[in-house]
Amino acid sequence: MWSSEWLILLVGLPFLGSLLTALLPSHSRSAANWLAGAMALACFGIAISAYSSVTDGMVVRHQVEWVPHLGLSLTLRLDGFAWMFSMLITGIGALVILYARYYMSPKDPVVRFYALLLAFMGAMQGLVVSGNIILLAVFWELTSIFSFLLIGYWHHNQAARDGARMALTITGAGGLCLLAGMVLLGQIVGSYDLDVVLQSGDLIRASDLYLPTLLLILAGALTKSAQFPFHFWLPNAMAAPTPVSAYLHSATMVKAGVFLLTRFWPVLSGTDAWFFIVGFAGLSTLLIGAYFAIFQHDLKGLLAYSTISHLGLVTTLLSLGSPLAAVAAIFHMVNHATFKASLFMAAGIIDHEAGTRDMRRLSGLFSFLPITATLAMVASAAMAGVPLLNGFLSKEMFFAETLEQHRASVLDTVTPYVATIAAAFAVTYSIRLIHTVFFGPRASDLPKVPHEPPRWMRLPIELLVLACLVVGTIPGLSIGSYLDTAVVSVLGDATPVYSLSIWHGFNLPLAMSIVALLGGIVLYMALKSYLDWCEEGPPIFRRLKGQRIFERILVAVSWRWARVAERFLGTRRLQPQLRLIVVAAILAGVWAMWGARHLAPQLTISGVDPVLAMMWLVGGGCAVAAAYQAKFHRLAALIFLGVAGLVTCITFVWLSAPDLGVTQLLVEIVTTVLILLGLRWLPKRDDQIERHGFWVRLRRGRDFFIAVIAGAGMALLAYYMMMTPLPPSVGDYYLQHAYSEGGGTNVVNVILVDFRGFDTLGEIVVLAVVALTVFALLRRFRPAEDNSELPYQQREQNEYDSIQRDREVGETLKDYLLVPSVIMRWMFAAITLLAAYLFLRGHDLPGGGFAAGVAMAIGFLLQYLAGGTRWVEERLRIRPVQWIGFGLLAATATGLGSLTVGYPFLTSYFQYTEVPFIGGVPTASALFFDLGVFSLVVGATVLMLVAIAHQSLRAPKARPDRAVAERAAVEQGES
Amino acid sequence: MFDTLLLWPVILPLAGAALAAALHAFPAVQRQVALTTMVLTFGASLFLVDAVMEGAILTKAFGGWMPPFGIVFVADRFSAAMVVISSLLALCALVFAMGDLRQRQVRSGFYPLFLGLMIGVNGAFLTGDIFNLYVWFEVMLIATLGLITLDRTRAQIDGAIKYAVLNLFSTILFLMAVGLLYGATGTLNMADLAVVLPQTEPSAALTLTAMMFLLAFGIKAGFFPMFFWLPASYHTASIIVSAVFAGLLTKVGVYALFRVFTLLFEVDNGTLKPLIAVIAAGTMLFGVFGAAIQWDVRRILSFHIISQIGYIMLGLAVATPLALAGAVFYIIHHIVVKANLFFVAGAIHRATGSFDLRKSGGLMKASPLLAVLFAIPALSLAGIPPLSGFWAKFMVVDASFQGEAAWLAAVALFVGLLTIFSMSKIWIEAFWKEHPRAVRARPVPAVMLVPIAALGIITLAIGFNPEPLVAFSNLAAESMGDRTQLIGAFYGGEHTAGVTP
Repeated sequence: MWSSEWLILLVGLPFLGSLLTALLPSHSRSAANWLAGAMALACFGIAISAYSSVTDGMVVRHQVEWVPHLGLSLTLRLDGFAWMFSMLITGIGALVILYARYYMSPKDPVVRFYALLLAFMGAMQGLVVSGNIILLAVFWELTSIFSFLLIGYWHHNQAARDGARMALTITGAGGLCLLAGMVLLGQIVGSYDLDVVLQSGDLIRASDLYLPTLLLILAGALTKSAQFPFHFWLPNAMAAPTPVSAYLHSATMVKAGVFLLTRFWPVLSGTDAWFFIVGFAGLSTLLIGAYFAIFQHDLKGLLAYSTISHLGLVTTLLSLGSPLAAVAAIFHMVNHATFKASLFMAAGIIDHEAGTRDMRRLSGLFSFLPITATLAMVASAAMAGVPLLNGFLSKEMFFAETLEQHRASVLDTVTPYVATIAAAFAVTYSIRLIHTVFFGPRASDLPKVPHEPPRWMRLPIELLVLACLVVGTIPGLSIGSYLDTAVVSVLGDATPVYSLSIWHGFNLPLAMSIVALLGGIVLYMALKSYLDWCEEGPPIFRRLKGQRIFERILVAVSWRWARVAERFLGTRRLQPQLRLIVVAAILAGVWAMWGARHLAPQLTISGVDPVLAMMWLVGGGCAVAAAYQAKFHRLAALIFLGVAGLVTCITFVWLSAPDLGVTQLLVEIVTTVLILLGLRWLPKRDDQIERHGFWVRLRRGRDFFIAVIAGAGMALLAYYMMMTPLPPSVGDYYLQHAYSEGGGTNVVNVILVDFRGFDTLGEIVVLAVVALTVFALLRRFRPAEDNSELPYQQREQNEYDSIQRDREVGETLKDYLLVPSVIMRWMFAAITLLAAYLFLRGHDLPGGGFAAGVAMAIGFLLQYLAGGTRWVEERLRIRPVQWIGFGLLAATATGLGSLTVGYPFLTSYFQYTEVPFIGGVPTASALFFDLGVFSLVVGATVLMLVAIAHQSLRAPKARPDRAVAERAAVEQGES
Repeated sequence: MFDTLLLWPVILPLAGAALAAALHAFPAVQRQVALTTMVLTFGASLFLVDAVMEGAILTKAFGGWMPPFGIVFVADRFSAAMVVISSLLALCALVFAMGDLRQRQVRSGFYPLFLGLMIGVNGAFLTGDIFNLYVWFEVMLIATLGLITLDRTRAQIDGAIKYAVLNLFSTILFLMAVGLLYGATGTLNMADLAVVLPQTEPSAALTLTAMMFLLAFGIKAGFFPMFFWLPASYHTASIIVSAVFAGLLTKVGVYALFRVFTLLFEVDNGTLKPLIAVIAAGTMLFGVFGAAIQWDVRRILSFHIISQIGYIMLGLAVATPLALAGAVFYIIHHIVVKANLFFVAGAIHRATGSFDLRKSGGLMKASPLLAVLFAIPALSLAGIPPLSGFWAKFMVVDASFQGEAAWLAAVALFVGLLTIFSMSKIWIEAFWKEHPRAVRARPVPAVMLVPIAALGIITLAIGFNPEPLVAFSNLAAESMGDRTQLIGAFYGGEHTAGVTP
């Protein structure tokens, strides 16, 4: 008995080989080739040895758990059908590697080539032996990726890149559909196990999800096998090196689609949907592929379309739903792989030897390459379906099947005719291939003088052609039992009686073959002269290229739709962005409230204090006015903003929150002064802003409307919330426990430094980061050009100084506001004292570290205002960054301190300390925390102040060139 | 030690940031401080995840105030995983920075700001208090702003202003929502809210509060149609910063959304579910469309962040346990992969001198190693099996099919296709195409490749052996979906030793 563990080797060896090859140094061409060949041969050997275990419908399974939570296991499952494919994959793989040894140019990085080829072999091998349908989809996607990488192997070539990308897009899309189909299949069946799925045919066909599942799986299969209307990627994939074309795009990967159809044939086929969709795709592909193939000038192009057509034949057979047709389909897959791979290799030799693949230039090559030519002729004859070759046998079976009635319909009626016509076309292009390339006058203008390739390069072709001959003459003895093994594994009990003999007597299929043969010859005679000079591509359909359509769609999706989407939604200007967001917010609110009108609150204005309401009207008006003026008059806007802030401040006091009032007031002062200082460095107002045009008004009106809706909605909501009584809240707890547990009567402060000290820690980090950011931003800031000169007032003063004989320039400026500045200097001590006072009383009365810090910062601020930057910094060394660092560290350390004594982070410790002369002073460890806050606030505020103040010290160096360059860069980035 | 596990991922960066700020004058020392801090933080986060691995939910009340009165940190599997992955990413970024950070950027305060960002990120993942969450969001917002404008170029200022304005709008919405929530319930502790909210009468305020949370976090997370700030700002920042932003910022928004909409509000209440579904689909589609027309690698990647956020939201839109597990898996996968792609973009820039795909090329020949290192996250992002992205997509797609939302699965797969397309564009232009000016690619320093390789290995490891993470995500989603577990952890009291009642 063949051990099932070998299956792991069968799939794993190529991947292992790929990895090893990739690690070889890039010049080790021979080693890479030997390694790859050895791996392929080893797998071939394993596959051969497995035969006895898969005959008569036996199955070898090996299961390794992989992702049990997703119902996914690494199940490898080898039956007769998969065995047959394994033989093709490993056998032809080994031949292709041998062939590639002579084909690849010394300039090519072959190590990468073999690594990719082996990886592909592993993926393909995995695909055919997957016993789990999700695993199958996994390998399926991998084959697409390696196909992409192999098509684009000569990536300096534009055609290779485009072809690779197209193949990836089409087969990748198919792969995703397949994955979705497999997920659905798993849902219907309740398992991803292939064996379970294969036993649930009736369940699947009866399911509601049958049609979507079928469509998705078909989308995967038809794209992979290049079936109409997805066929066009295959001819474009011919930019790949010929070994790749021979291996992936004729023998193996494109067969994955029909492999899948065959695999699921027992459970999916036999319905109208299957018959019509698959049948239509197969028949049209059969005909179109053959027709297009006639008119290709590129050897590989012809072979590509021929491949498409033959795959169409297999698809058509599978669509019929009869077991005999399935037998024919499986048989033809093998036959096609042999003759087409050998033809591709022959085409590669011709290309290699003659330097071109253009059939209009190639002629009379028989005398140069007699052996290759003979081999190619035999293979072409097999492709055309000439008796005594394998292609004939499966084609006869195909004809016989088309004549049977399957499902009464037009499609069924036309099938025999279409089949005969397509067969005639196949004869035509086969003759064309042979006749043009090998016969006729000896070509004289070839890039190279051709001669026979090395012995070993021809060997793969010889072996494959031999297979064609042997199967064609003695089918029963050569392939009979193997085919039977494959067929039984798919069809099981439904396996029909079929005969592989060459001679079935004079019957209708034979007549069809003869008609096709003669018709093809006649057609070739008629077309011969036209084909010598015509353009590439078939008449009539020349312009209707799938590729073009694909590109159109791609451009539409990836470019045009995207542009539209960007135009509407990807705006790069801030105002429309903000508008969209606000509108979205309003819409979301409407959406939420649409069905919930009963929840809408009853609003009343009773109980509102008229004075407070008036104040709020003023404050709100000022806020709106500030917004209105922000663009036109910054100073005015700032003043309005100040009033709005003051109203807030008074409101806090009104609502009995003196602590917040104090803090708000101090913050108002500092921010207003800082902004005032900063205003100096903003660019001047732009007088060009249009104020009165119709569209401008309309736009502003709309924006105003949106703003009012959003603002009013929010205000209403807030008002309603404040009118409803507060449920029992954590706030009550804070009020009750601030003193007893936190040791402070100022609840706000206790909340800040104790109850919710962590919030405060976070907030001071915010403040620190803001300061650092402002500092970093302004560190090498160059003000706008139009305000880099001294202000008007200072210029006047200096001018006055220079006119007066007894005054130095700058003296007036120094004496300016002398009295106030002296007072301001004196204030420093007072403010420091105030800060200390605020700080110390913070725990019990309004104040605290934050307020104290802001107050202290105001002290510094006044010094800068009074004395000027130089004066202050000559006398006072402030290191704000260190203050910030210290503050953060102090606050953190206080928190960590409680850890050392076994309490949670930031636990406050509280006691009364006896201080001489003062008596008992409440001391909480939170005080140190507050000290950190204080230090940080001072540091942060002063850092921002210093950053702004230092602007005026810096010699204004306007660098227009740089500014212009940057602006250009921004615009370029946006266009 | 066990008792303080929750603290260190926040306090270590905090101390590090303070030290780095204090050592402003010594850039080399700052680097040491930052690296040490992040190594320690990462180590601490590993301890944390180890502690919750078995399903325990750790809580820690700070200041010794029992919940709901004090601020509580909480770690379950989801949050611990987020902390681990963010700390790892930050560490990688710092290593990458050793090769790519300019002296000028250090002087502009890179290290304190960077560590400041990590305070906010880890704080947001660990907090169990809705207002405290707001505080960490603010820390993040401000630190981000500083990091964007590190070079003070015109483009950066422009990006930063958009970032600031739009995110401030979100922050304001968040704050108002917290205010309304407090007004309606009188508490801020999330577990307490989870107890109180079901007993509170439905009102317009609560409905709108839910909507405001959705919008506020949605803006942060980069939802359609509110994602403008993201593509406007990410590509302007230095690449280290972009990588961390790409990995973490939007995910914090998503994380908050998941918390709020599993713990406080129900997705399944009729109005929210279709809305979130539409948002998820729109986010997926518009992100990927936006990426299609870009030529700047960073812009392409930025738009892909948006589309991937859509996938994660798909998990919330479907809201079954499988879908939530898929979302958790997706978030973790996406943080690793997207940050890595930005690092690779930085390496491409170093090698070719440009972020613009039209001006780069020839890397396949010049640096095959970089090609492999790009291929791993790129294929993973596109959902190619067997990389981490495939499992993420598989889980959410599977969940949508099972959750009767096949159209979402269809959108997801379609977007997956366009993502493949988009990644192949970068691959073809930067790696396959010859360099347009035939310039030799410059070498990329090893310190820049190390983090790329490390994250690539993680991607591969998740890809080839997804089972542990799938199982972990399942459990994480389970405990996230079951609010009683979290409430029990808050009030169980076994980890809140030292509480002053």
